[in-house]
Amino acid sequence: MNQRDPRLGSAAGLVVVGKDVPRTDAVPKVTGAAQYVADMRLPGMLHAAVLRSPHPHARIASIDISAAAAMPGVKMVVTGADTARRKWGAFRPDLYPLAIGKVRYFGDEVAAVAATEAAAALAALDKIAVQYEVLPAVLSLDEALKPGAPLVHEDAAGNIAHHFNFERGDVDTGFKASDVIVEGTWESVRQWHAALETIGCVAQWTNGRLTMWCNTQTPFLARDRYSVALGVPESQVRVVQTEVGGGFGGKSGDDNASVICAILAQKTGRPVKLIHTREEEFLASHPRMPMRYWVRLGFTRDGIIKAKEIRMLADNGAYTGKSQAILGAATVRHDALYKYPCARADSTLVYTNLVPTGAFRGFGNPSADWAVEQAWDLAAGKLGMDVLDLLRKNAVDPGDVSPHNHKITSCELKQCLDKSAEMIGWREKRKKKRANHGLGIGCSVHVNGRRSFGDWDGASAIVRVNADGRATVITGEGEIGQGNLTVLRQIAAEELGLPYEDVDIMRPDTDVQPHSLGALASRLTYIAGNAVKRAAGAAAKQLLAAAAGQFNRPAEDLVIINGQVGPRHGSETEFRSVAEVVHANIYKREGQPIVGVGNWDNPSEFPDHSRYGNESGAYNFAAQAAEVEVDPATGQVKLLEIATTVDCGTVINPATAEGQVQGAVTQGIGYAMIEYFNWYNGAPTDPQFLDYPIPGAEMMPKLHVAFADSYEPSGPFGAKGLGEIGLDAIPAAIANAIADAVGVRIFDLPITAEKIHRALHPELYAGEKAAPPAAPRSSAWTRLAAGRPSGARPFDPEFVMAKSVEEAVSLLAAGESALVCGGMSHAIRRERTGFPLAQRLIAISRIPELRELSVSGGGVLRMGAAVNQEMLYQDARVRKGWPAIDDALEAVGHTRVRHGITVGGSVGPLIGGFDLPLALLALQARVTVAGPDGRRTVTLEEAFQKRFAKGEMIVAVEVDPQPARSGSSFFKYMARGVLEIPTVNTAAAMILNADGTCNRARAVIGAVSWKPIVLDLQPLAGKRLSEAVLRQAAQGVRPLTEPNPDVRGSVAYKREMAVEFTARALTKAWQRAQAK
Amino acid sequence: MLVKFKINGDPVEVSLKTGDRLLVDVLREDLRLTGTKHGCGIGACGLCTVIVDGAPVASCLQLAALCEGSEVRTVEGLAGSSALHPVQQAFVNRSALQCGICIPGHVMAACALLEKTPQPTEEEIRASVDSVYCRCTGYVRIAEAYREAVRLARKAGKP
Repeated sequence: MNQRDPRLGSAAGLVVVGKDVPRTDAVPKVTGAAQYVADMRLPGMLHAAVLRSPHPHARIASIDISAAAAMPGVKMVVTGADTARRKWGAFRPDLYPLAIGKVRYFGDEVAAVAATEAAAALAALDKIAVQYEVLPAVLSLDEALKPGAPLVHEDAAGNIAHHFNFERGDVDTGFKASDVIVEGTWESVRQWHAALETIGCVAQWTNGRLTMWCNTQTPFLARDRYSVALGVPESQVRVVQTEVGGGFGGKSGDDNASVICAILAQKTGRPVKLIHTREEEFLASHPRMPMRYWVRLGFTRDGIIKAKEIRMLADNGAYTGKSQAILGAATVRHDALYKYPCARADSTLVYTNLVPTGAFRGFGNPSADWAVEQAWDLAAGKLGMDVLDLLRKNAVDPGDVSPHNHKITSCELKQCLDKSAEMIGWREKRKKKRANHGLGIGCSVHVNGRRSFGDWDGASAIVRVNADGRATVITGEGEIGQGNLTVLRQIAAEELGLPYEDVDIMRPDTDVQPHSLGALASRLTYIAGNAVKRAAGAAAKQLLAAAAGQFNRPAEDLVIINGQVGPRHGSETEFRSVAEVVHANIYKREGQPIVGVGNWDNPSEFPDHSRYGNESGAYNFAAQAAEVEVDPATGQVKLLEIATTVDCGTVINPATAEGQVQGAVTQGIGYAMIEYFNWYNGAPTDPQFLDYPIPGAEMMPKLHVAFADSYEPSGPFGAKGLGEIGLDAIPAAIANAIADAVGVRIFDLPITAEKIHRALHPELYAGEKAAPPAAPRSSAWTRLAAGRPSGARPFDPEFVMAKSVEEAVSLLAAGESALVCGGMSHAIRRERTGFPLAQRLIAISRIPELRELSVSGGGVLRMGAAVNQEMLYQDARVRKGWPAIDDALEAVGHTRVRHGITVGGSVGPLIGGFDLPLALLALQARVTVAGPDGRRTVTLEEAFQKRFAKGEMIVAVEVDPQPARSGSSFFKYMARGVLEIPTVNTAAAMILNADGTCNRARAVIGAVSWKPIVLDLQPLAGKRLSEAVLRQAAQGVRPLTEPNPDVRGSVAYKREMAVEFTARALTKAWQRAQAK
Repeated sequence: MLVKFKINGDPVEVSLKTGDRLLVDVLREDLRLTGTKHGCGIGACGLCTVIVDGAPVASCLQLAALCEGSEVRTVEGLAGSSALHPVQQAFVNRSALQCGICIPGHVMAACALLEKTPQPTEEEIRASVDSVYCRCTGYVRIAEAYREAVRLARKAGKP
């Protein structure tokens, strides 16, 4: 039964709450007017850059900054010696603003530069001479916990940063009374927030006071911590929140960037700006903490939970930040989800020499849910029950109390389960199970705030009603994109009786607003909402008292409706505007403005060391169901649908609430399947969106979102929080669905196609030899290890626009030159390695001859080097005549990328992993090149074998018309399902004889060898083809492959995929040939 | 070297400090058009999408020198003095934004598509939305904003 609060009936009368009002920040954000910290520019402002450690663990023997300090434009170089030498951190102060004594992870901050230009600051990094004595490092939980392991911090014996355990209730008796026991160990990995705006700060000292413009989620907490790190009194620091381009926990004041920025500003006496590069964001933004989570559950045979035990190790990384609290949440939170009678836990936070971890949406719950929600799924299997029924049977109800004294107030978990099951069609689909299709479900519970930083989890707000009748809400909680400013305005407007448009709200400035904890722990709607409601209520009371005198009636008889004050049930003519009332109340003897103050503290308990205590005054709940389809030949998972129902009490703003859930689900998908690095010597390779993509629109399943009919008595208008919960159970729900689909249970995140493929086809991997990880070729690691950390350009290239092929060739002959067509590869190379292509860039994109795209009378397709792929893609002749080319262009992704890549640019570097060249190889294209000795035409295959001569440039590529009974195809296999570098590319072309037998067949395979593999299928000539015959022929690829293992697959997996997609390409080409 | 092009309809002449200066830097630093955002520097995220001669372009991979004689349009060039561009209005109407850092890129990608294809198919919308990352929304509302923009443009009597 829905335990709906009777007061919910009153929600029907709400005017502003529950409505999709326009977001406060919408117009500035769609016009580009919104000011993010990177957009700021102050007079005299300097730019900062940070030197980072190239070692996971090393003693700093010496640092010589003299050469860097002497560089042009450099105003200051600082090291740890220039700081207050104070360790800081949210719970366990263990972080220096700049390293002192030693570095503890690849990326640790060592020194920083401020210069007049960003490029000058970067260039100076290379001139800072640091002598390191490399120390043995601990690069995993196991290494860190080995007896006698090197210590990350000398004061943390055994590398233990934090530990606690407990037993609540009689767990042994519970397991004895259990008929079915399940257990397992699940591992999770780091996930980066990947906010599309990186962490940044502009700092300025004026008269000994520091102002920091920060994109922080938590301005007041950031001020507290930064002041400790800087060694200045808290009130000397003013933090102003700029627009925040995504937070998700990563901008909650644990970063050194802002502190370093403030130090540089102090030393130079000038404003300084420091913005993380994308690469730095991956090294220093405290990603999600990985855990090794062992769980055991006991049930009676009819599915009643009897006991739970967990043991957990968490990888803290080199510094603690908020990980200590995350450990606590991951240990106890889940126990408020089902009716656990008892629980035992032992949780340990372990230092490693890896990227420090921290708060990320979900705060430990996704890792706990990854384990426990899969254990429940295993239990359902063992019990022979539908997991949906098992979860329903044990779901908590209002009035329940967890073993840790979490008091469940409003709770619609069963409704969430039912709605999600209904939206995804659970019962019907389970009845009619389709091959390789599967359904999975998971639940989660979240706090609304948490007493973390002391025995207070409150909020304070001021609501002023101005003399023009408009109200101003003053809170320091801020906006990080989740819609908080909009929601708080709605609450204030509703409580005051003003139209939404007549309420303004300010961004946080720690000099102005009352103390606030900010955006964390899904707390703002519930806690700040209550404070704002109280402040608005206090203002309304003052307003009515003022009106009482003016109307000569008791205040109780008066109401405020839509900005008008008048008698209850009075006629319209009796009403006066709020403006009139306020104005009259100020401009009189002893007059005063209307200022309401509201304070509200979460009715929760400060948990003790073993995390006993009711963390939050209310809890929100979610049930999430996923449907997947698994391709057994690749292991790739296609997400079909995900249904989420959240119990967040009253929904204040439906559009924003829905958006929160959709976004959280998407990050959950990323965590489950897409977002991970390969590692080399403690360094993530390559810390860019190249190796770490995030979900894009094309891979998204259909998302269903619903909200439970629910009311939280302690929430503002019955509301609870919902910022995080949509993420938590997604990885487990997907894993459960995969297990349902193909019987493969994934225990270690991420869920990769390769893991599933290995589980389905172990025989293919039987003879595999483990390869040691190879050093990355161009990435942060390469640059830092080579002592060229900056990526700054060694010289500024000259740019020449060539007017003819001959001019370009003669310019090339002069040496030190490189061609640019669209310019894309040049720009990418410069971003990633710091080196431009050459001292002189010769642009060939405006040469008329190179821009020609034609099909001759004889049907030959001729593509000039400067023709871009979008032009080709839009050309109907290409689409019809050369399907492999069209497939390849489609696989490139989208218009923007196709527009940026030219024919010459994609063919010129002769890289087999590129899409278009591979299709062209299959179609036996010819390339015309111009060089110092004139022009020549070679087959593309020959070009791939012999390369081009020095000084040659591509003029055009030609492909012959495809004869009757011919077909071609191209496949790009991206194992993660998002647009990125492929695991393997294949193309095929085929001509059939009149009798349907094979005349000629050819397959080309890219990205699995240093050059494309051309598979000669001469033996097929004259044979009658079938898919089986072509699959057999594709086996010939296997011995020819020499793949590089990387984040897209191991050697063995790439080899198998090369075979699989060669078969697919041949089959498709054959089918097309039959149709033509 | 000097490069001349049109920015949001107005002629502009920029002296490039280096020959391989990127369009995103020229826009943000030299022209102070900070609506265009820098997201990744390798063309993956699409935050810096602007329209050059009618096509969506990642300005972080676009050599500014190659813009000689081009028409460059940024998010600042869309709205009139009194009304938002239909695409911008659509994003507002559908609450198709959260933190907002990717929104100028999405708005420009949408404009580029809808100017060429006023009645796009769902696949075309999906491919265009896919060209710009969003870490907040899960793309559902952004795709809705595309559809809303088509409706608004039709209502305004534009093709």
